[in-house]
Amino acid sequence: MVENNLLSIIIFAPLAGALINWLIGGRLRNELFSGVVACGTIFVSMVVAFYIAFFADHGGALHAEKPVLDHLWTWIQVGNFRADFGLGMDRLSGIYACFITFVGLLIHIFATGYMKGDKGFYRFFAYLNLFMFSMLTLILADNFLLMFVGWEGVGLCSYLLIGFYTKRNEAREAAKKAFVMNRIGDWGVLMGIFLIFTLTGSISFFDKVVDGQQVHSVFTFVAEHMTADPFTWGAIFAGGLTSAAVLFFIGATGKSAQIPLLTWLPDAMAGPTPVSALIHAATMVTAGVYLVVRANAIYQFAPTAMWIVAVIGAATAIFAATIAIAQNDIKKVLAYSTVSQLGFMFLAAGVGAFTVAIFHVMTHAFFKALLFLGSGSVIHGMHHEQDMRKMGNLKKYMPITFITMAMGWLAICGIPIWAGFFSKDEILYKTFAADRYFPAGVFPGEEFLWGIAAITAILTAVYMTRMMVMTFWGTERFHEVLPDEAHADAAHDDTHHHDAEHDAVHDDHDDEDEHHHALPAGFRPHESPWVMTMPLIILAFLSTVGGLVGVPYAMSSLVGIKEANTFEHVLEPVIAENKTETAIKAKENAESHEPEVVQKERMLAGLSVVMAVFGIVLGFALFLKSPLRKMPKILEQKWRLDELYNGYIVDPITRLSRERLWKGFDVGFIDGIVNGIGHFVMEAGNLVRGLQVGFVRSYAAIILLGALAVIGYFIYYGLKLVA
Amino acid sequence: MDFLNENLLTILILLPVIGAVLTLAHQMFWKQEGQLKWLTLGFTTLNFVVSLALFSKSAVAGPSGYFFEKNVPWIKAIGTNYHIGVDGLSFWLVILTTFIMPIAVLSTWHAVDKKRTAFYIFLLLLESAMIGVFVSLDLLVFYLFFEASLVPMFFLIGIWGGDNRIYAAVKFFIFTAFGSLLMLVAIIALFFLYADQTGLGGSFDLIAIMNAMKVGTLVIPPQTGTLLFLAFALAFAIKVPLFPFHTWLPDAHTEAPTAGSVILAAVLLKMGTYGLMRFNFGLFPDQSKEWAWLFIALAIVGIIYGALVAMVQPDVKRLVAYSSVAHMGFVILGMFSFTEQGMQGALYTMLSHGVTTGALFLLVGFIYERRHTREITAFGGLSSPMPIYATIFVITTMASIGLPFLNGFVGEFLIMVGMFQSQVLAITTSVNWNIIATMFAGTGVIFAAVYLLWMVQRVFFGKVTVDKNKGLADLSWREIGLMIPLLFLMVYMGVFPKPFLARSESAIKAIQERVMHQAGGTVDHAEAKPPVSGDEHK
Repeated sequence: MVENNLLSIIIFAPLAGALINWLIGGRLRNELFSGVVACGTIFVSMVVAFYIAFFADHGGALHAEKPVLDHLWTWIQVGNFRADFGLGMDRLSGIYACFITFVGLLIHIFATGYMKGDKGFYRFFAYLNLFMFSMLTLILADNFLLMFVGWEGVGLCSYLLIGFYTKRNEAREAAKKAFVMNRIGDWGVLMGIFLIFTLTGSISFFDKVVDGQQVHSVFTFVAEHMTADPFTWGAIFAGGLTSAAVLFFIGATGKSAQIPLLTWLPDAMAGPTPVSALIHAATMVTAGVYLVVRANAIYQFAPTAMWIVAVIGAATAIFAATIAIAQNDIKKVLAYSTVSQLGFMFLAAGVGAFTVAIFHVMTHAFFKALLFLGSGSVIHGMHHEQDMRKMGNLKKYMPITFITMAMGWLAICGIPIWAGFFSKDEILYKTFAADRYFPAGVFPGEEFLWGIAAITAILTAVYMTRMMVMTFWGTERFHEVLPDEAHADAAHDDTHHHDAEHDAVHDDHDDEDEHHHALPAGFRPHESPWVMTMPLIILAFLSTVGGLVGVPYAMSSLVGIKEANTFEHVLEPVIAENKTETAIKAKENAESHEPEVVQKERMLAGLSVVMAVFGIVLGFALFLKSPLRKMPKILEQKWRLDELYNGYIVDPITRLSRERLWKGFDVGFIDGIVNGIGHFVMEAGNLVRGLQVGFVRSYAAIILLGALAVIGYFIYYGLKLVA
Repeated sequence: MDFLNENLLTILILLPVIGAVLTLAHQMFWKQEGQLKWLTLGFTTLNFVVSLALFSKSAVAGPSGYFFEKNVPWIKAIGTNYHIGVDGLSFWLVILTTFIMPIAVLSTWHAVDKKRTAFYIFLLLLESAMIGVFVSLDLLVFYLFFEASLVPMFFLIGIWGGDNRIYAAVKFFIFTAFGSLLMLVAIIALFFLYADQTGLGGSFDLIAIMNAMKVGTLVIPPQTGTLLFLAFALAFAIKVPLFPFHTWLPDAHTEAPTAGSVILAAVLLKMGTYGLMRFNFGLFPDQSKEWAWLFIALAIVGIIYGALVAMVQPDVKRLVAYSSVAHMGFVILGMFSFTEQGMQGALYTMLSHGVTTGALFLLVGFIYERRHTREITAFGGLSSPMPIYATIFVITTMASIGLPFLNGFVGEFLIMVGMFQSQVLAITTSVNWNIIATMFAGTGVIFAAVYLLWMVQRVFFGKVTVDKNKGLADLSWREIGLMIPLLFLMVYMGVFPKPFLARSESAIKAIQERVMHQAGGTVDHAEAKPPVSGDEHK
């Protein structure tokens, strides 16, 4: 057990930043102060994270066999249940911590430029730092419950940041939707934690000793003392490992926006663009993938769950890609693209290629952060216009943004040597050929999933090319009035004037917003300042060469290097040793460098390059001449999923609650009974009151009647006795 | 020290009464009500400070295993004793009561403008009664305090309440009095059973009765036991309130003045759950186990039902009231899981619900004082004119939603861990009812986010739609000041729950073992470790 108390600095530095910005920044209202505090604390985190990952304790956590631990205090301990506030950095969380702090720092720097002049500047950075605290807690937690703390924390920060422009209706709607949908997923995580605790008696990720007590790791316990579940539907409900795996995956679908809980992520684009880049592309949304990979020991024994993960991943990938093709808002395209790429990651995890999933998480963090920040730069240059139909030919005005974004575009399309190529290609290959976790003959099997992934890869190239074409090529359309806007604009003319007045006064108008202004007549887009382009350049560099850390043997051997896939080797110890027969065979298969296996991988790689190029060509062919080409309505409307949810789930529940439960049961039934008893007593009292009329003669009559009744009873009783 | 050991609880009960007498005297001699709030604030604060002596490390357990125990004959003729004491179960509830009272008094600063003398007298008497409820170890004394707490609250709602106050007050009184009358019958029945079987003469002493059951001199016939159990349970279930006895609560809360709502939510409801744990589990362990399924079922219905109905409330206060129904459902669920985690979680949720919901009612009160309405539609965009208020409100909401590292999470999590492991529903081996129950209860976590965030969104965000709201003043220093201790506790209880849990551990374990292992068996309060230990903070 390696202890290193520096670990807590990684999470507490951003927390300190958040508090300073919230308490002091709010008074100073100085952008330089807030910016330096926010970026500085993330910088400290980053330095410490890299130090522990690569240098501390003889070679760093990424080389060590055992995780680096830091026990802070015991949080909850009741009976045999214990949850520590303890951090741990092993190879998986080490990789995560490094790229999160690094990309996070770049996005923070970018945001100091992007948010310039915003009244809520300090508040924005307080939230952003709080997010980093939560995200790093999620990653570095050494047990499920503390991970859940981070998991909820990032949800909260996401809520606060999506709703950052509090006066915009769609922002607060989107914020609430994000929180609630995440909560549905959180239910799964909670139940999963309960089940895992019941099954293994622990919730710790690592074997460790706390206060002289041995705490055992969930995953070692599972690998050593439990056996794989069969591949059946029943296993999902049996309360074993498969159930736990499915429950955790429910959580993952919420956090990582997979079917069916995906609709919140595109709406989340209502937040400021750096937030979209940091939270809704690079880091938070990949937490679901982290959870699945972290719990891979459980998933490997749960083939049914693996299959579900793979199928949901593939389905989400293609579903979101079809929607991305028809969106006109630049951020919406990227949002659906993110959903689609997350689907790829789950597909990888589902077919057992856990390291590849993480590899794609990392490369995706680079190129998607780049694309989002690039879109932010575009939006900034276009005076908060996000509609691509009003852009065009921006390469002339924003060369740096154009070139850097082009790197991201090539990376996501999967053109060789750009980062996305290696990770995405390996996902396709592993889906087609590698570790077999679910039995043959099940539909959809690996080949079918590969087919879906391949089509999605083509679609990806198409929609990304469409986005690039609409934004950077073609003619300038800054002043064109769009057909569906023409009518609305006329009606809004008044409002614009009104807005302008407010702008001049500047006091009531503190919602600092990105909301839609008509572009002025002599409008020219401009390139963004260096604080914004510098992060773009660094990310573009990483998107280009960042994939080289994970080049598979089949490719590295082409240029005469034997083992270049360092990424996979680093992560190997994190993946539990699965001792089932098929898994061993699959592993041998994957590791063998026999010519025909290598040949197959090369062929598939060649095929996916062809597909990417085909997609790009198709994109140019379709959209270069007519960038405003009408797309199918149903795609533009996102398959009407929101309407479906509202119409069949939200509205009926609301109606039921209001009409049946509250007005029907509470007020009608229960209070009806209570009030009814009250009325009955009153009525009975009224009735009896009729007897008390105050006339002696009627009292006498009543007494007489009563006496007669008593006498009659005794006579009757006596007769019966005699008889 | 001995003096304090024996009389601390009596002092806690009597101090507010003295305060009430002085209040009356003040009114009679000076005819001026301006300083009364200071007097009341002084006495409640003093009581809180005195109650901190409960943390004393030199406290020793009395003959029955309770701390600060006092047992003197009261009415010899019917064998009732003034027997009081605290253990890990009641310890925090007493502290919660003394803690919340000064805050409740501060909330009345400008809000009460008629019959102030009577108002403050009722508040003080209410405090005495509540403390009495939590420390009584004699059934009759308990009953008297339990009923005595009803009267001041009835008047607080009926005189200083909203427009529909008479209906609400009467409803509150009838519901709770109805339940407690049955309990009185059950108490008397126990008295005679004890007298008949032990031959020692009747007794109302909880400890004596439990000991007699333990050694076997008192054997309650199963059917009688069931009836008595249900009589006690009904009284407490109404108080909690457990679905479907909950309909008095939204009315009472909505009509009550802010201080009344705060005390009702923070303390009065806990008398129900406390009573179940102390008396139902203590006196009828077999029946508690046997009937657990019913309470668990009702608790789960309450959790979901309360949340769904809360979602559609047009009135903020009524919404918070229904959220109480859901939260108290969690408490019941945890208690009846009869696991250490579940029961500890239940006690923890009682405390954190007291803090959080108390805070929510205070916050609703602030806005009501400004606008004299609580309709959600009357607001919107309040975060612009009242940023501090909005911040505090959102933090409190998050605590109520059960966000980790705030107080609500710890308790609800432990309750669900406990229910998940629970054995009480192991009727058949084919269906894991405990898991199904937890899964349904867990949906309450989702709904809580829905109704609270929806309300927050409609009240605080967006543009200010009503002109009246544009000039609203943000919180005053007094208002911020009385929220700060609550906010501090929300965070502290969320991050460092250990000291709280440690104190109640032995008492909870004793109750749990009594129910699960040997009903009427070897439970022995003398074994209970002192609830006071080492390095804890106050």
